[in-house]
Amino acid sequence: MSTAGPPPPPAGSDPGAARIIDQGYRRYDGERRGIGGAVRAVHKAAVQRALGLKRSARFKVVPLATAVLSFLPAIVFVGAAALLPEEFRDELPFGYADYYGYITAAIVLFVSFVTPEILCTDRRTGMLGLYLAGPIDRLRYLLAKAAAVGTVLATVTLGPTLLLLIGFTLADNGPDGVGGTLGTLARIVGAAAVVNVWYTTLSMAVSSLTDRRAFASAGIILTVLVSSAVVNALVENGLSSNLLLLDLFGLPFELVRRIYGEQGGDTIGELSTAPMAVAAVALVALFVGVLAVRYRRLEVTK
Amino acid sequence: MQPQAMVEPVIAARAVAKGYGAAPVLRDVSVDVPPGITGLLGANGSGKTTLIGLLLGLHRVDAGSLSVFGMDPGHRGAEVRARIGYAPEHHRLPPDIQALDLVRHLAEIHGLPPREAMSRASDALWQCGLGEERLRPVGTMSTGQRQRVKLAAAIAHDPRLLLLDEPTDGLDPPQRDAMLALIRRIGHDFGIDVVLSSHLLDEVERTCDNVMILADGRIIAAGPLAELRRGASGVVVELEHGVEAVAASLREAGWTVRIEGLRVDVAADPAHEAAAFDAVRDAVARCAVPVRRLHPRRASLEEVFLGATA
Repeated sequence: MSTAGPPPPPAGSDPGAARIIDQGYRRYDGERRGIGGAVRAVHKAAVQRALGLKRSARFKVVPLATAVLSFLPAIVFVGAAALLPEEFRDELPFGYADYYGYITAAIVLFVSFVTPEILCTDRRTGMLGLYLAGPIDRLRYLLAKAAAVGTVLATVTLGPTLLLLIGFTLADNGPDGVGGTLGTLARIVGAAAVVNVWYTTLSMAVSSLTDRRAFASAGIILTVLVSSAVVNALVENGLSSNLLLLDLFGLPFELVRRIYGEQGGDTIGELSTAPMAVAAVALVALFVGVLAVRYRRLEVTK
Repeated sequence: MQPQAMVEPVIAARAVAKGYGAAPVLRDVSVDVPPGITGLLGANGSGKTTLIGLLLGLHRVDAGSLSVFGMDPGHRGAEVRARIGYAPEHHRLPPDIQALDLVRHLAEIHGLPPREAMSRASDALWQCGLGEERLRPVGTMSTGQRQRVKLAAAIAHDPRLLLLDEPTDGLDPPQRDAMLALIRRIGHDFGIDVVLSSHLLDEVERTCDNVMILADGRIIAAGPLAELRRGASGVVVELEHGVEAVAASLREAGWTVRIEGLRVDVAADPAHEAAAFDAVRDAVARCAVPVRRLHPRRASLEEVFLGATA
């Protein structure tokens, strides 16, 4: 980079005297990081925004509160495992597969706050047009945003179960041997990935439909809860239990149980894994499709 | 300005067409934009913003070809956009972000490493007159300050070309003058080529070296401003008094004359401009009236615009 240095002081002047120097405009011919740099910058800014970093305290309340809610059961379970006598530990009512059952509300609340913050704000404030006037294109912009939602969401979907594994292992109540530990770790990561992909795509699809964060947040919660209530009511009234494949709330958590080799005790637990996985993939594709169509049609230079 | 044939155009469009659905927005747009400050002039809805979208590679042309720095923005959009600074028309910006953070972030989006982005963002805000205000949240800033933040964000990564969409929208006259002076400085002192999209004739006339006029999706006039204004030739004489007498004398000699206040406007084709000067000299001498100014007649941009759109 060419930088205009300060001119030498005039002969006879006091070298320590203050002077105002007009640097003029500096050209830049240094490194440019291209599309990769742009994607990383979008991702980093989105994560910071969602977590309320570099923002006033009120923006930190929801992410902090939901993170506490999601970690609280893990802390209690690890504490119980560490403090209770060994003969009582096996009687304790917790495991990795069931953990999400304790924090589903926190996950839904978290994602309904995070994704609109990350996605709607750019459209409402005109930032989307400024982003797309840079090297980044729509696809990579959405990938960066999806990665940001996934990264932030991982704090509640991956963090607590990892804490459980580490805590149980340290309390001498973890899986048997290195193989058992690695197997459990792979299941933990796989389960978190399923919940992350599900809620990232679902929440981004809903958030793409409105520029207003409050509407998007309400839309995410309603989509999840209403779909679950409707299909469960229909099944209870005699319709095919396969309708539960459209239970947007229950489906991902049942898939998590299958990853741990378990099945839920309710009606959805009676369905076999293969159609459940196919339905999940199809629904994720639908969410991605909604998102893609919506962003392809967006006019950004206005 | 150098002759256009000697200079590689920054933007070259050949028979560009673009529409949305059945509605054509741009039709048969062919133009070479030379280096310097170029005004993109047209009424609202004439296709200016669509053309900017095409230059940024955000849309593909339906027909024809477009190149920016010799590259097709439809196929090499990322490379083209990395070298363009863009300030959109709207004033919406994230309200809770400091101006410095916003400009730095957009410099990073254009590929600058974080340290350089921070340094240049600060410099750009100083250059745009917001040095003291750089730590203020954008939401607390006036429209004029936001326009400057957008301009700082557009120049922070040192672009080759600046696309400014209605940069004086919402500004009061002093702010507008300051903004236009800044744009001239960017175009002439900073060495960044500028395309200034506007529907305001006088601001293009005051700021730009070149003009392209869009009407109904077509380029109806384009070229150096001085050449376009040369289209109306003749002589203008401004007198202390005796306007009617001088005008009558000229009419008697067979010249077409128009009076505007103390000015007498004598129309003449370029081949007879020298004879018109002689006729004005003789008429003024005959009537014995003092002369304030005497200069060749040049069309205002408004006349050029009206002539082209007629």
